[in-house]
Amino acid sequence: MIIEKSSAWKEGFTERLENREAWDNWTLYRMSYEAVKTNLITDFNGLQSPKYLPNLTPLAHQLKVAETVIERMNGKAILADEVGLGKTIEAGLILKEYLIRGLVKKALILVPASLVNQWIEELNHKFHIPAMQYKKNYDLDHCTIVVMSIDMAKRSPHKENIYDQEYDLIIIDEAHKLKNHKTKNYEFVQNLKKKFCLLLTATPIQNNVFELFYLISLLKPGHLGNYETFQSSFSVSKHNVEHDDYLKELVNQVMVRNRRQDTGIEWTNRRVQIIPIVFTQEEQEVYDLISDLKNVCPIFSDAFSMITLQREMCSSKEATSLTLTNMLQKCIKPEDISYMEGIIQKLMVLEVNSKAEKAYELITQASDKVILFTEYRATQTYLQWYLQSKGITSVPFNGQFNKNKREWMKQLFKEKAQVLIATESGSEGINLQFCHHVINYDLPWNPMKLEQRIGRVHRLGQEHDVHIYNLAIQNSIEDHILDLLHVKIGVFEQVVGELDDILSAFKKSI
Amino acid sequence: MYPQQIHSYLLQFFNENNCQVLNDNDHYINVQLTIEMDKKIMNRPFYWKYLECTDGEPSPAQLTFITDKNRLVEDIKGEVIHFGSPRLSQLFQATKEMGSFVRMYERVVDKFEPQTILTPWLAVNYKISYYSDQTKEILYSLGINLMTGQVKEEFQELLSGVDLTTTMSENTFNLPYIIKPIRALERLDGIIDTFIQKADHKWAEEAKLRWQKDRKVLEYFYEGVENKPDCYEIEKEAMDQQYEARIKIDIINGGLFYLK
Repeated sequence: MIIEKSSAWKEGFTERLENREAWDNWTLYRMSYEAVKTNLITDFNGLQSPKYLPNLTPLAHQLKVAETVIERMNGKAILADEVGLGKTIEAGLILKEYLIRGLVKKALILVPASLVNQWIEELNHKFHIPAMQYKKNYDLDHCTIVVMSIDMAKRSPHKENIYDQEYDLIIIDEAHKLKNHKTKNYEFVQNLKKKFCLLLTATPIQNNVFELFYLISLLKPGHLGNYETFQSSFSVSKHNVEHDDYLKELVNQVMVRNRRQDTGIEWTNRRVQIIPIVFTQEEQEVYDLISDLKNVCPIFSDAFSMITLQREMCSSKEATSLTLTNMLQKCIKPEDISYMEGIIQKLMVLEVNSKAEKAYELITQASDKVILFTEYRATQTYLQWYLQSKGITSVPFNGQFNKNKREWMKQLFKEKAQVLIATESGSEGINLQFCHHVINYDLPWNPMKLEQRIGRVHRLGQEHDVHIYNLAIQNSIEDHILDLLHVKIGVFEQVVGELDDILSAFKKSI
Repeated sequence: MYPQQIHSYLLQFFNENNCQVLNDNDHYINVQLTIEMDKKIMNRPFYWKYLECTDGEPSPAQLTFITDKNRLVEDIKGEVIHFGSPRLSQLFQATKEMGSFVRMYERVVDKFEPQTILTPWLAVNYKISYYSDQTKEILYSLGINLMTGQVKEEFQELLSGVDLTTTMSENTFNLPYIIKPIRALERLDGIIDTFIQKADHKWAEEAKLRWQKDRKVLEYFYEGVENKPDCYEIEKEAMDQQYEARIKIDIINGGLFYLK
């Protein structure tokens, strides 16, 4: 066993014995001994951090997570609480504990660029951890606790600078962004030395069980076996998870997940419903023409753009027309051009948007603040105009907005406007507990995006029941999306655990 | 540490360092730092360098520390200080630096006793830390009689009942030590080593088991891979560092004590 000692005291003592230095003050001597005694860590187990943080009152489930991760998971874990339960607090507690115990000297915190400031602020103010933001040309030798956007970290020369450091703890927020093992992000984290490591995500599975496999393999390679064994034992097809209990057990050894209802806190209810909508005859006609495109000409047969078009048609004619116009420019044969022009003409004369009307109806019924999520910028602009024409005020919200503009829009929504119209990228990092109606105007492919959206309002501090309306056009691609969402939720629940209601209160069995 | 304890700690700390306490209000204090203390805790070397160069009038800082925010009714701006606040850790560190080595004599007041003989002792306070992926610390306060070699534990607690001063009282004389202090220190170090050897090191065994388990999992992942990628080596190294059992011996402070 390695025993470390320093001879510094002996040297200083010799100096005094030989009268080259003065003796110290007796009171300070005693105080120093008392201070060490008060700070002494007398047990391998238990948390020291709460007594160092008198101004922070962590919730019971947060303390339990910190303890579990340190004592049972040896400091390597996925923190997968549902959105809004305070994963940052849990990570902060763990980091603080390791700092107090001297087990972590240097830590690296990788987060999406939009959350860098929030992390710095929380670590400094809530935890008294002197975290700093990494800027170009900073010398990492001098930064002990550093917060950095992962997109910056993975690029040269920052990547090499980071690899040169010895980090004791790595924290990665929104770790579901590492689900794809072929990305630069994944490769970067894979080659990072991870002594202690925390991956934070509310949604460890978004589409299929392999995402969880890759996430865990990043944290603890081999824990779920290697790719071949995992594939053969856990996945016949992508959505069919066998040996559920065994896999769940393995996953639970490296992942902690609290659900709202486990926290002992009174949560308001989620009232989720699917709102079916029927196209008008004219809309249906255009939709069918679009669906038929692939049979008209091989240049339209690309499945991806077909699906995109169908989804856009379910959203608004504005979103659809952009894509159609682009496609028109690729057409060469005159008959294709005229077919295309025919569709565009029919599209442009549509006067009614059934979905928008339904949304308007829901907003009027709610007669309260509403957040509406759409997948398309064109729809966002259209809806703003449409609601305006009906006398309803709204503000837009995009991920591209900078920090000030985000704050400003949030403020406008809170004080002036009735509706916030957000695109997908707007659904991270804003908290809007004062609002309790969410309209999912377009459905995403990924159920966890829905969970993230709902998490903006259904989080600690929400005082009312939250109403969620999922709009879906009948007999369209959205039916198919709904089915797929149900399947994906099923996979998640089999492997990770129950989910709060996302799509509707009635669970569809697979 | 409770707010009240912190409050007295601060008072004592600044008093001992000759910093004038301008205002002591049981839940906040206002203190005038000396130049020395300013240099020690204010972290502004450029200011002091500048003053020295320009021969300016030094103005060491005046600080207000709020030790119990909950009881603060006055409109006062200051640093809120609590257990775990960076400022308090800094003062702990400063205390440690300024209270590492002492030489003290037991006070003798009884004038009728013809002559009192004081025996020299060496006292050393050790902190032993066990590290793997978890930690634990133990405090040992040892004293060794420099005449006889007798060793006592919990020596600091023993000293707290003794009236000590920095100068020898009248009519007392101290025995010259037979065991040289440096030799005595080596003896105490030896005793600490024996403590460590005899201690139960189940913690290290357990850390090793955790390490072996993780190692097996890793090997399984790369089983049959001929040219293992870099990240395999990185992962292995991380594991070694995470679970390696280490023991660290720190001396908090120590000194010579002449006791009856």
